[in-house]
Amino acid sequence: MTSSSAIGFDPEIRQIEREIVGFFAEKTPEYTGRHPIVATVMAYFYIRRNLTQQDLRKLTGFSAGAISNAVRQLVDINMITREMVPGTHTHRYKMETLPFRSPKYFLQTEKTLEKRHKQLKELKDILDDHNDEMRNLEGYQRVYAVVTLLLELISSVPRFMALIEEELDRFIEKGKR
Amino acid sequence: MKSGKNALGEEQLGAIERRLVEIISDFGYLKGRSAKIAEVTAYIYIREEVTQQLLRQLTGYSLGTVSAALKELEQLGVVSKHPSADARGYLYKLAGTPSQVLSRSMTDVQEYLSQTSSFLEEIEAKLSKQSLSKKQGYGSLRRFLDEMNVLIPAYQHILQTFQAAPSGAGKEKEGAASDQ
Repeated sequence: MTSSSAIGFDPEIRQIEREIVGFFAEKTPEYTGRHPIVATVMAYFYIRRNLTQQDLRKLTGFSAGAISNAVRQLVDINMITREMVPGTHTHRYKMETLPFRSPKYFLQTEKTLEKRHKQLKELKDILDDHNDEMRNLEGYQRVYAVVTLLLELISSVPRFMALIEEELDRFIEKGKR
Repeated sequence: MKSGKNALGEEQLGAIERRLVEIISDFGYLKGRSAKIAEVTAYIYIREEVTQQLLRQLTGYSLGTVSAALKELEQLGVVSKHPSADARGYLYKLAGTPSQVLSRSMTDVQEYLSQTSSFLEEIEAKLSKQSLSKKQGYGSLRRFLDEMNVLIPAYQHILQTFQAAPSGAGKEKEGAASDQ
C-alpha cells in the first residue's frame, strides 16, 4: 500500500511532497475558503501537473466520489483542463500554470461577482424606489450605506485584477531578462 | 403610533436587510467560515453594533450559537466586546468601519504569502540534500519551487506597489480585497 501510494516518486521525495500538499491543504481553505479536499487535490496538481482520478485516489486516499467532485470543481473554475486518453474511457487532468500565476486565485471568479453585483443592484433599486417610505426608519441609512459600499467595491474588482495581472507579467518578464 | 405606511416600510426594510445578509454571508461562507458565523458577521457588518439578544432575534439562533460565534469573531479581530451602558450585558462592535474590515483581506494575502514563503524555504533546504537530485520526482518538486520562487516575490512587489499608491489605487485595492 505504501509503495503504491508513492506513485512514481522516490519515497524520500514523496515524503517532501506530502509535506507540501499538507501545507497547502491547511492554508488554502484558511485563506481562500476552498474545501480542504479540493485544496489537497489542487496541491497535487501544483507538483504533478498531470493526473487521472485514479492517481489522485492513490495519492490522497479520498473516495472516488470526493475526487470526482473535486476535479469537477477545478475544471469549472478553469484551474485544470480535462482530456480523454485516446483509446480509453479515462480522462487526464492537467494544470498548465500554477493558479497563483493569476490573481483570480485569491479572488472569486468574475461570474460570482457579476451575480452579486446584480443582486445588490436590485436591493439598491428597491431602496431608491421606496426612499419615501423608508428613509426615516432606523437602519435605513446603514443598510443603504452597506449596499452602496459593496457595489462600489465589486465594480472595482475586474479593473483591479487586470492591473495586478499586468504588474505580475511585467515583474516576471523583468526577472527573466 | 406607527402609520400604516411606516409599518410597510419597516417590513420592507427588514426584508432588504435579510437579503443583504444572505449576500454578505455568501462572501463569508466562501471564505471558509461556517454558515452561522457568516450570518452573524453579516449582521454585524450592517448594524456595526449588536447585543447577543439582538442577534438572537435577528438570526433565530440559540444563545449558545450566538455566543460561540461572537467569541470566534472576537478572536479573529472582527468584533470587540464592550460592557453595555446598563451594565447588564455586552455590546459587540465591528472593529473598524465596514470598509476597513473588508479591506483587511489584503493583509490576509500578505500573511499567506509570507507563511508560504518561509515554508518553501524549509522545503528548499530539505531538497538541497545532494542525494535527492537524481531521485524520481525530484524534477517535479524542483519545477514547483522554481515557479514559486518567481511568483512570491512578484506578488510581494505588487502588494507593496499598491500599498504605496495614493488613495485612488488604494480604493481599488480595497475593492479587490472585499470579495474574499
